[in-house]
Amino acid sequence: MKRNVAIISVGYNGRFVSKRPDVNIPELIEPAVTNALGKTKLKPDDIQAYVVGNMHTFEGVNGPHLWASDHFNGSGKPVMRVATGGTTGASVFQAAYYHVASGMYDVVMAIGWEKQDEGDSQVGLVGIVLPEAFTLFQFGPEMNTERGGVGGLGGGGSTGGASYQAMSYLSRAHAGIEHIDRIAALMRSNAAKNPYAHLQQPGCTEADIAKTPIITYPLRFGHTCPTSCGAVAMILVSESKAKKFGLTDRVAWVKGLGSGTSDPTTGNFVEGQITDPAEQHMCKVVAKKVYTMAGIKDPTKEIQVAEVYSGFSHQDLMWPERLGLVKEGKSPEMLDKGAFAIGGEMPINPSGGVTSTNAIGASAMVRVSEAALQVMGLAEGGHQIPMKVENAVAHGWGGLFQFVTVTLVGRTPVKS
Amino acid sequence: MANETRIMESPWDLTTYSWKVEADALNLFVKGLKDKKILGRKCTKCGTVYVPGTSYCRKCLIDIDQVVEVRPEGTLDAFTVNVSDIRGNPVEHPFITCTVKFDGSESLVMGTLEGWQDWHDVREGMRIKVVFKDVTTGALADLAYFQLI
Amino acid sequence: MGKRVAIVGYKQTKHSFDNLVSRERMVYELVKSLYSDIGITKDAIDTFILASNDFTDGRTISEVYIVPRIGAYMKDESKVESDGLNAALYAYMRIQSGLYDTALAIGFSMSGSEFRAPMINSYVMDPAYERPRGLINFHSIAALQARVYMEKYGFKERDLAKLTVKDLKNANNNPYAARREQKPTVDSVLGSRPLYAPLHEAHVSAYADGAAAVVLASEEAAKRITDKPLWITGVGHSMDTYYLGDRDLLRMDSLRSAGEQAYRMAGIKSPKREIDLAELHTNFASEEPVFAEALGLFKEGSGKEVVANGDSNVDGKMPVNPSGGPLGANPINAAGLIRLVDVCAQLNGEAGKNQVKGAKTGLAHGQDGPGAQQNVVFIVRREK
Repeated sequence: MKRNVAIISVGYNGRFVSKRPDVNIPELIEPAVTNALGKTKLKPDDIQAYVVGNMHTFEGVNGPHLWASDHFNGSGKPVMRVATGGTTGASVFQAAYYHVASGMYDVVMAIGWEKQDEGDSQVGLVGIVLPEAFTLFQFGPEMNTERGGVGGLGGGGSTGGASYQAMSYLSRAHAGIEHIDRIAALMRSNAAKNPYAHLQQPGCTEADIAKTPIITYPLRFGHTCPTSCGAVAMILVSESKAKKFGLTDRVAWVKGLGSGTSDPTTGNFVEGQITDPAEQHMCKVVAKKVYTMAGIKDPTKEIQVAEVYSGFSHQDLMWPERLGLVKEGKSPEMLDKGAFAIGGEMPINPSGGVTSTNAIGASAMVRVSEAALQVMGLAEGGHQIPMKVENAVAHGWGGLFQFVTVTLVGRTPVKS
Repeated sequence: MANETRIMESPWDLTTYSWKVEADALNLFVKGLKDKKILGRKCTKCGTVYVPGTSYCRKCLIDIDQVVEVRPEGTLDAFTVNVSDIRGNPVEHPFITCTVKFDGSESLVMGTLEGWQDWHDVREGMRIKVVFKDVTTGALADLAYFQLI
Repeated sequence: MGKRVAIVGYKQTKHSFDNLVSRERMVYELVKSLYSDIGITKDAIDTFILASNDFTDGRTISEVYIVPRIGAYMKDESKVESDGLNAALYAYMRIQSGLYDTALAIGFSMSGSEFRAPMINSYVMDPAYERPRGLINFHSIAALQARVYMEKYGFKERDLAKLTVKDLKNANNNPYAARREQKPTVDSVLGSRPLYAPLHEAHVSAYADGAAAVVLASEEAAKRITDKPLWITGVGHSMDTYYLGDRDLLRMDSLRSAGEQAYRMAGIKSPKREIDLAELHTNFASEEPVFAEALGLFKEGSGKEVVANGDSNVDGKMPVNPSGGPLGANPINAAGLIRLVDVCAQLNGEAGKNQVKGAKTGLAHGQDGPGAQQNVVFIVRREK
């Protein structure tokens, strides 16, 4: 007797951009909320509860949802704050799902945002391991970073860490840097068809990406995500409310969801690391659980489109494999034959993905909202895939290479 | 709609934190390095060998105190070629930092890789051995680098 | 809805101001002994909800190194960035959804020894106006609220001091509390360092190192694990406006609403009669009468009378914070969850010198934000 939950509306604050000096955090959130409501007949007071989140160390305000509560109409209502690093947006969405699935609420809004122009994102990222890094210093590492040093402290911030994963992936898939260039180009050109995307490069080619400098091999500047400002809001309702609102046609049903964690990486000297960052076993486990929940037997056939969380372009090849959408090691081949394009047989990130737009606390929710829009047939500006979408999968990734979320949305609810 | 907006520039100077970090794994590791040994800990329940040897097994959620020595040889796992420094400036001689898996352990340990001519020829799964500094002092830097065999 | 959710395990650390082990070790030891107390392994837990805050941990994604320490390696987990009672609330929802049978909720912080809590709290204030002016912070809001209550209801400084002594004495009898005041008296409270008048140092909660955890279970799973489950009969939560000028500091609308939701769900018509004790997340002693009245536990403005009659004492009509409450230990992010753990201990008759006789129904409260902007209320009941 599980309750079915439907997504009935998605709102963005506008186009995601690198700087929004004209607004503060509450003002950034407000239009996303208004736009989500505006696509329905709901009034602000019809929302019974809110789940919200961002990564507040990136902005320097502790719990900005407190400050912003009036601006999303949360005052006087139940509001829960959820934050889990890169997966924040998806974790917020999933918490909103449980608000409805628990039977406690019928109409809930989920909001994720980031305003990265107000803080220092690299400082925010370094903050993940600062105590551990300082501890490492007490144990006399090689300080000459010109030669790497023990702990690879010279390895280029989070790009450095991701490079190991990228190299490990390429080795597993017998692929080369050109494949990363190619998928990066696909994402930037997809983004050009999404009016909300940040880095829009119409017709971006592999050669355009290959021109950008290497940071740590095999990752180039063109393989990395931007730091964006933006907000997303979604409205979730129970099945009975969806019927009452007369909204059963253009909705996306949440058919399966889950999250999971492995161990913090990379080369973790304090805790000892036992999980290869490119293995991502947890992603396979969660995906399997989610598909079972949704009654999906063959994800390669029953799922039409995926939105995956890739802070770095090699991940756009890795995640479809770990999610069981293509066979292990086959992403480069699928990419080369055009399968991942908007008109292909398994479109990956028609929105342009995270490498085109990354407002951290919003990003993992944007994966879900974009998957939902594909199901509803409402993706704007030419990034709606031509195939009829029965099921779409949304993926989130974060922590120190260790968190994963998977959400499956579809056209028809699971019969209980 | 707001008509006037001002930009407030201010450092985010929070407070000083006195973090406490469990350093058992590092402590054991550098003790081993002093004697030119690679030490870790083994979970007596599931057999997982952690290098550096953390104080507990995350698979079994039990404390582990069985110290094991692993051979200072293993296989190359992921690696990256550092072509620029942390500020993005190109470095004159690119270098490889890598993770290796010592034989008989499940852990990935980071370090610098030597013994290659052209980095394009380096492949995951290649065999490596540890090269210690001549004079060891019980510091992480005692592990000079990993050498391709 | 309508499924029954039980608390089948609960535990808190011995809180302190100088915890010498890492937060990872603290959390690990707590969770391990909780599992062993109730005779389960980590494998019996389906989902994990943490409560922590990147600011109070001084770490981005503060749970990164904690999740493997609670048995969540390769398992399903999430985190609320708020008081720990929100984690219990989210865990409750996950079980109500029917997708999980058991859940661990845990809150922790090292707010005694790792950082200065008031500094971190001030980072909640809006960065362009209130924060740089420095006039509005957690302390000054509590002082404003205390002043309003005192002026309106003739609650004197000595009344507040007497109430504080009650909490400090209870804390002395609580083996888990961090704070130990030698023979607290009205004079010692009034003689402590003045902060924001009328508040003195003795009125302020004891920011401490500590953690608390509970295991929740569906009815079927609860029967497998324990023969004395405690039932969560009501929950409620609500957010107030941020802007002080728009708030009624005495009405406490969000707390009132959270309480009303929880009472409605629990079928409680008269909280005064039907609740046997309350554990309130008070960051300042002066919040106690305001919160208790907003929750309908005492008549509005009755603080003076309650203190004079000892109504909120352990042996009073409506014991409030028999554990000493956060005045005894206030690890940020765990404080509300500790309230729940204390209520559970009371219901099972394990509260030692602070035991409320025959306690059957208890109320636990958690809060977050300046002036308790966000509030959560749990009603827990012993069956037999």
